[in-house]
Amino acid sequence: MGKLDNILKEYGVSRREFLKYCTALSGTLALSPAFAPKIAEAIEDDNRPPVIWLEFQDCAGDSESLLRANRPTVAELVLDYLSIDYHETIMAAAGHQAEAARDETVKKYKNKYICVVEGSIPTADDGIYCCIGGRSAVDILKEVGGNAAFVIAVGTCAAYGGLPAAYPNPTGAKSVKEILGNKTVINLPGCPMNVDNLTATVVHYLLFGAPPALDKFLRPKFAYGKRIHDNCERRAHFDAGQFVEKWGDEGHRQGWCLYKMGCKGPETFHNCPTVRWNEGLSWPVMAGHGCVGCSEPGFWDTMTPIYRRLPNIPGFGVEATATKIGTTIVGISAVVFGVHGIVTAIRNRGLVRKVENEFEDNE
Amino acid sequence: MKNNDNIKCAAKRYIYVWEAPVRISHWLNFLCIITLSITGYYIHNPFIHASDIIETTYIMGMMRYLHYLVGVIFAFSVMLRLFWLFVGNRYASWHSFSNPFRKEDRKTFFAYIKYYTFLEKNPPHTLGHNPVALVAYIVLFNLFILQIITGFALWAQADPNSTLYALTSWVFSIASNQWVRFFHYLMMFLIAGFVINHLYSAILFDFKTQSGEISSIFSGWKPERNS
Ligand code: SF4
Repeated sequence: MGKLDNILKEYGVSRREFLKYCTALSGTLALSPAFAPKIAEAIEDDNRPPVIWLEFQDCAGDSESLLRANRPTVAELVLDYLSIDYHETIMAAAGHQAEAARDETVKKYKNKYICVVEGSIPTADDGIYCCIGGRSAVDILKEVGGNAAFVIAVGTCAAYGGLPAAYPNPTGAKSVKEILGNKTVINLPGCPMNVDNLTATVVHYLLFGAPPALDKFLRPKFAYGKRIHDNCERRAHFDAGQFVEKWGDEGHRQGWCLYKMGCKGPETFHNCPTVRWNEGLSWPVMAGHGCVGCSEPGFWDTMTPIYRRLPNIPGFGVEATATKIGTTIVGISAVVFGVHGIVTAIRNRGLVRKVENEFEDNE
Repeated sequence: MKNNDNIKCAAKRYIYVWEAPVRISHWLNFLCIITLSITGYYIHNPFIHASDIIETTYIMGMMRYLHYLVGVIFAFSVMLRLFWLFVGNRYASWHSFSNPFRKEDRKTFFAYIKYYTFLEKNPPHTLGHNPVALVAYIVLFNLFILQIITGFALWAQADPNSTLYALTSWVFSIASNQWVRFFHYLMMFLIAGFVINHLYSAILFDFKTQSGEISSIFSGWKPERNS
């Protein structure tokens, strides 16, 4: 019973609602509901580490996602009002004052605060493409990220370079992990990241004092451990072979599977279908648009074209698809061997005659 | 060399060339490739609409199930053949690979190349694989292995906690998920191109050398030749 309790009251969130939220969170984290009271305790604890939120080459989509933890929800309170010390988009301070506040947090809570990074980090030309207060993004990240307890890279840009790092990557954009090689970095990719996964990651840390289990791309398994496709509500239509063929056709209106429209659900690991967006209201596939695979590494380069199943092949003209190249290969071999066969047959006619003549001569 | 290497059928002067496991693996591969290509193409491009036939067909599910099941059979078949490289008779063994450092082998190899490109009329006779075809088979089996690895890797993604995933997930550090799918699909066409070549060459050589190229893959026996 402390600071949080008062704030919750101020925002009209009842104790009951708060506990309900904690139970939901235990579900997101794939923990048993029995953990709810422990989660409540962890959130209420006043020893929560401060958070520094850095923004580099980004669109502020993840900040937007954070702010859209709508209504005065507990998520918003946990992440924003209670612990975020520095956040360029939403803090009140400005200019040198803000920089000073950040420096103070770094010094005072060395190795104790959490660093959240949004956006990729340009490295070309000494990193001049993104400077804040006269310092380059690389520089700031090395200092702030390097002294943090651990770093959370939110959004695909911070996690894998995202859009800025897509071919031809003019700014030499890199991911957070590429800059902070040996630091613990947790990636929460997505365009933008889902705020529920951020809350859950932070709460997991508060609860167990350790980051959640990560997959090989450093994504928490609780959120990125399953494919969109395997939890999609259109999956039954996929298995039944019922596919949308054209936007707005009968199948589309019936909510059939978007596979043929280029849905990347089968190759994307994320909990979108279960956690969803806007307070669990909906998510892209539910709204009728195929998944674009935004939380996979390098998705701008490998998940395009968005409305086709497989990537186009560079170097084979503008729209050469695997099927076109494949049928060409088969066609060419058929022609080559067909011609070989015809030539052989013609050449053999003489041979057969010769053998027959010899045979007759010997008789 | 095992002593059954030259078992002769006294009456007809035939030699036992293709042992049973080689023939079994050959025909299993044949059936598997056909099934895998059709189901695989369907998975890439589901051209039959369930509602065209009957509302409740579990058609994509069925195709995928078949693809996985046959994929497993195919993997065993390929493994059987690879195993036979080490225990099989001299025609099936890796000893039959031509050695690019041996003059003799090089000569036969180029003689076949010349034959294929119409520069020479009569191919030299070989009982086992002809050396050019052998190169094609080595490439082909590498494609098979790549198909099997990428196939199992893609399958394993359904459950990243599975043993299969632990065994195959390294694939995705080399190429992204989407490119692995792409190559898995494209390789099907390369294999289809080979099938055309293979059928044609078998007929050509059967016709040209009367050495039982086609019948031997059913029976195992090839006529003995001295020249
Ligand atoms: S809509 Fe996309 S994710 Fe959903 S079942 Fe179809 S292909 Fe899978």
